[in-house]
This record gives sequence, C-alpha cells and structure tokens, in this order.
Amino acid sequence: MTDAPVIVDADDLYAGYLPGIDILNGCSMRVQEGELIGIIGPNGAGKSTFLKALFGLVPIRSGSVTLGDEDITNMRADELVKRGIGFVPQTNNVFPSLTVLENLEMGTYQRPKAFKAQWERIGELFPKLVDRRDQRAGSLSGGERQMVAMARALMMDPKVLLLDEPSAGLSPDRQDETFVRTREINRTGVTVIMVEQNARRCLQICDRGYVLDQGTTAYTASGQELLKDPKVIELYLGTLGA
Amino acid sequence: MTKRIDRRVMLRALIVLVIAVAAFIALGASGSPAIASTTDTVVAHSAALSNEAPSALTQDTTTVHATADTESSGVGDNRYVQQFINGIVFGLLLALASVGLSLIYGTTGLSNFAHGEQVSLGALLTFFFASKQEVSLPFLPVEFSIGWPLLPSALAAIAISAGTGWLQDRYLWSPLRRRRVSIVQQMIVSIGLSLAMLNFIQWWFGAERKRLTTSIDTRLDLGLFSIGQTTIWSVLIALVCLGGVGYFLLKTRTGRATRAVSDNPALASASGIRVEKVVRLVWIMATGLAAVGGILLALYDNAAAFDVGARLLLLMFAAVTLGGLGQAFGALVGSLVIGVAVEMSTLWIGTDLKYAVALAILILVLLVRPQGILGRAERVG
Ligand SMILES: Nc1ncnc2c1ncn2[C@@H]1O[C@H](COP(=O)(O)OP(=O)(O)OP(=O)(O)O)[C@@H](O)[C@H]1O
Ligand SMILES: [Mg+2]
Repeated sequence: MTDAPVIVDADDLYAGYLPGIDILNGCSMRVQEGELIGIIGPNGAGKSTFLKALFGLVPIRSGSVTLGDEDITNMRADELVKRGIGFVPQTNNVFPSLTVLENLEMGTYQRPKAFKAQWERIGELFPKLVDRRDQRAGSLSGGERQMVAMARALMMDPKVLLLDEPSAGLSPDRQDETFVRTREINRTGVTVIMVEQNARRCLQICDRGYVLDQGTTAYTASGQELLKDPKVIELYLGTLGA
Repeated sequence: MTKRIDRRVMLRALIVLVIAVAAFIALGASGSPAIASTTDTVVAHSAALSNEAPSALTQDTTTVHATADTESSGVGDNRYVQQFINGIVFGLLLALASVGLSLIYGTTGLSNFAHGEQVSLGALLTFFFASKQEVSLPFLPVEFSIGWPLLPSALAAIAISAGTGWLQDRYLWSPLRRRRVSIVQQMIVSIGLSLAMLNFIQWWFGAERKRLTTSIDTRLDLGLFSIGQTTIWSVLIALVCLGGVGYFLLKTRTGRATRAVSDNPALASASGIRVEKVVRLVWIMATGLAAVGGILLALYDNAAAFDVGARLLLLMFAAVTLGGLGQAFGALVGSLVIGVAVEMSTLWIGTDLKYAVALAILILVLLVRPQGILGRAERVG
C-alpha cells in the first residue's frame, strides 16, 4: 500500500434485496486514490451485490460507505454520479432501444455541455462505436455491448469506476484488450474497482485484490501475493494451467 | 427508436391493416345487415338538448358517430372510404388517449386501469367549464354556471387533468414504488382507483350524457367522403399532440432519458438520470394527453358520459398491446389499426361487436407477432 489518501471506504456492510435476508454480511473495503482493485470469488458470493450496494442500488442495512470525507451510504445513484462514481453493471448494461450515440449521451446526462468533447475522446478509445453510432444497442453483439457499457460510464469522466465482469462473454483476445484498456484507464488517474471471473488475469493487472466469499470480504493482499497464495490457487484460480 | 425502424414498421402495420380489412370484407360476404339497425340513435341523439335521454347511455359511443357520419354524408359517397376515414379519425383520437397508457407502462411497468377515467375526466371537466347550465362542485351545495368558451374550458380541463396525474404519482404511485410494491399489486390498486374515479365522476356529473359541441359544425363534402369541420380541427390537434410526443421522445434530452428509463430504470439512474422525476413528468403528460383525447372524442361524438373512458379502456389496451407494449409509437400504430378495423367492421357486422372485432385483431396480430407490431423481440442472453 502506498500512502495515497483513501477515496472509498466501505465499512462492515450488511445489505440484501429482500427484507430480512442479508446477502452481504460484513463486507469491508478500503480503496486508495488511483488504485486498481480486483474482487474475485465464487458465483453467488455477493460480488455484484457489493458493487450495487456501493452504488446505492441495493439498500445497505448497516455499515457505512464514505467517498473522500463524505458519507455516501444509501445515496441515490444519480447523486453518486454527480460525485464522480461510474458503474458498469454485469448484465443489462446498455439501453437496447437507444442508439449507440444515445446510449453514450445518457452517460453525460447531467452535463450535456460536456457531451461533444467526451464523445470525441471516447470515440478515439472505441473507434468501432463511432461507426455504429446510429445502430440500436439492442442489435449489437455481446462484446460490442460491453464496449458501449464501458464507454457510457467513461463518458461521465468518473473519479471512481465500478466494473462488474467487464470481460464476461468476450473472446480471449478481447478479454486481454479489456484488461489492458482498464489498466490504461486506471493509469489516467481513475480509481477502478472491478469484479472478475477471470481471476488470474485480474490479479495480474490489479494493485490489490479482495476475495469475497459468502457475503464477506475474506481477505485482501496485493495481486501478486494472491496469485501465489496456495489457498487462493486451490479455491479460485484452479490448478490447471498454473 | 430511430428513422430506420419506421419504414419497416410502417410496412408491417400496413400489411396487418390490409389483412384486417380483407378479413372483414370476407366476413361481410357472409352477410349481416348491421347498418340499418343503428340509424335511429342519431335522432334521439340530436334531439336531446343538454342532458340526453338516459336511454342513450346504453347506446355505444361509436354507434353514434358512425351513424352520424353516414347520415349526413349524401348518397353516392363511398361507404368504404367514409368508414375508413372515420376509422383513421377515431384511431388518432384513440391514440391520444392511449399513448399515455403506453408511456406509463413503459417507464413504470404499470398497466394503469384508471387511465380510462382520465379520459372521461378531461371531457367532463370541459363540460363543467363550458356549460351554460348550472353545475356544482363535489361536496358544495351551491350551483353556478361558468359558461366559458370551449377553448379556455378545454385548456383548464387539460391543466386540471394533468394536475391529477401529478397528484397521483406524488401521493400514490411513487410511494408504492418506493416501498417496492409489486407490479401486480399496483395494478390491482389501479383497478380500485378506476372504480373509485368512475363512481366519483358519475356522482359529480350524473349518469346522463353531457352535450359538448362547437359552433363550427358544417360538414365538408370531399367527393369520396365527407368530414365535419370540427373533426378536421380535432384531427389537426391530435396530429400536433402526437407529433409533439414523438418530437419529445426522439429529439429532446429529457425525451431520450424517458426512453432510457423505459429500457432500464436501474441503468438510467446509474447514468445520472433522476428516474422519479422522469416518471412524474410521464404521469403529467399521460394524464394531460388522455384529457385531450377525451375532449376531442367528446366533440367527435357531440357528447360525453361518465363512462366514456371506461368503455374505451379495452380498446386502449388492445391498441397498446397491438402496437407493442411500452412502445410509445406502438400506441399510435395500434390505435390506427384498431380504429380502422372497428369502424370498417360496422359495414358488415353490428357495432355491438366492436370489442369482439378489436379482440380478434389483437389475437390475430399477437399470434403472428407476439411482441406486437412495433415491439422488438429482444435477444436473450
Ligand atoms: N435482484 C435480486 N433479488 C434477490 N436476490 C438476488 C438478486 N440479485 C442477486 N440475488 C442473490 O444474491 C446472491 C449474490 O448474488 P450476486 O449477483 O451478488 O453474486 P455474484 O458474486 O456477483 O455472482 P456471479 O459471479 O455469478 O456474478 C445470490 O444468492 C443471488 O441469488
Ligand atoms: Mg455478479
């Protein structure tokens, strides 16, 4: 860990969808400015729920989340967008009946004046989307949708970016591209918290990893350490091709 | 929803329409002398003054205008063309009433059964402001007459109706959504609200049909068909309103946000859109448009009763489902199809079968295109 200031501090979160059923029970995470954090864990561990709870889409029953020095626990998503948090959900992450261009426009909904400049910037990052700008997002391929989803979040120029399995469903070379791109985005100063199934690739590029299991953040260490941790290897990385 | 869809989609709608018309011509061959049986309503209708004979209540609303048109259009006019035009007119007015239903369904998932009463409310509030007779407010024993000209009366009625939309969302629907009350439960609440509003409106205005007419009421004979001057104005107003909705949805930022909310409310809020604000606006628009629809339909029929909306509700649902649930433009296409089918069918079968006709069309189209005319089969996964 460096001594950069803490930007996101989630402390002992309990949260869930249905009354009385907690999916998260005691999740904590402390993220420093400029870090790239990877979250791994088995299916159903609550990784997506954790990101959604950070982002105000799942009610937090106890615990707190702070952004800088501000308490953002259970804040409405649109308020969080205003404060510079961007979120790319795991599923349903585009507006299918809107065109690509309109999807990205929604990314700058709160700052319409910034649209043009951002569109040019993002257009350079995703040239393919520029060609497809008038196509309905619902008719794009899965990989292209992921691109739209990521681009939409980047349009907001977020300080903190939450990514839920950005490489899901992509071909191996596209997955690599996604990881490289995420790293690049992180290098421009954006703090990134990403959930990944592709644990090995994720831990290779991230500064720090968290292992989330059964609704609790089991442990954390640098990506390199987790890659070498025998327990992590056994449970999450698999011994094949290690 | 962009320019590209329109050609394909219009073509589709056209095909459906042609099939529907063909089906009814075929049906007509088997013969049913419906027209003769409906003519006497008109007499009762035009003879009545402000409060029509309660017996008119049992007559269907479209019976009245369908026959009113055939009656005044001279001999030699083409009945088919005439009924087709009537259908388009009725379809446009129906679209005004149902577009809001579709917008509400799209943004919140709610099938609002009380939407019909919003239509009645618009028409009867206009009567309230425009009538030269004595009117009264609910719970107040005083009778008075306002007697404003039609335009300001209509505007006031629309404003009040839109206000009820705001009120409902603010104090009823929004709290229910916040408490995560399920869609089915919300729908049942809307059924209750519909009955409550129906009773309230009946209690306030009475059960008689209220007369609503304009001073400009000459008919223009255009060779193949004839059309009332009021109707032309109504069509123009409907077109402007529907065009306005289209412009709003496609060309304005808030409109695009509305479509975004329809697509995916969670993602919309993750994009920084204040979903609740958008939904509030949709409620205001939807109820306002329903009022416009109600007023124009009342002018088209020369009268309105407390249950006009309730009678229309099924046609509105049929239109919205037919066009593609939640697709704002679907409501327009669906309404036109239903309007034309219903009016054309009166050439061969009784107007009492109006709902059966609408239902038949609905089932036929859904069998061929389960997602509705404009609806898209979303990819799975
Ligand atoms: N909308 C929802 N309503 C109710 N329960 C939900 C909902 N979404 C998720 N859950 C439950 O929460 C638990 C955790 O789900 P979550 O999506 O957070 O897992 P995850 O770690 O992201 O899994 P995966 O790796 O498969 O994406 C699961 O048991 C799931 O059934
Ligand atoms: Mg997940």
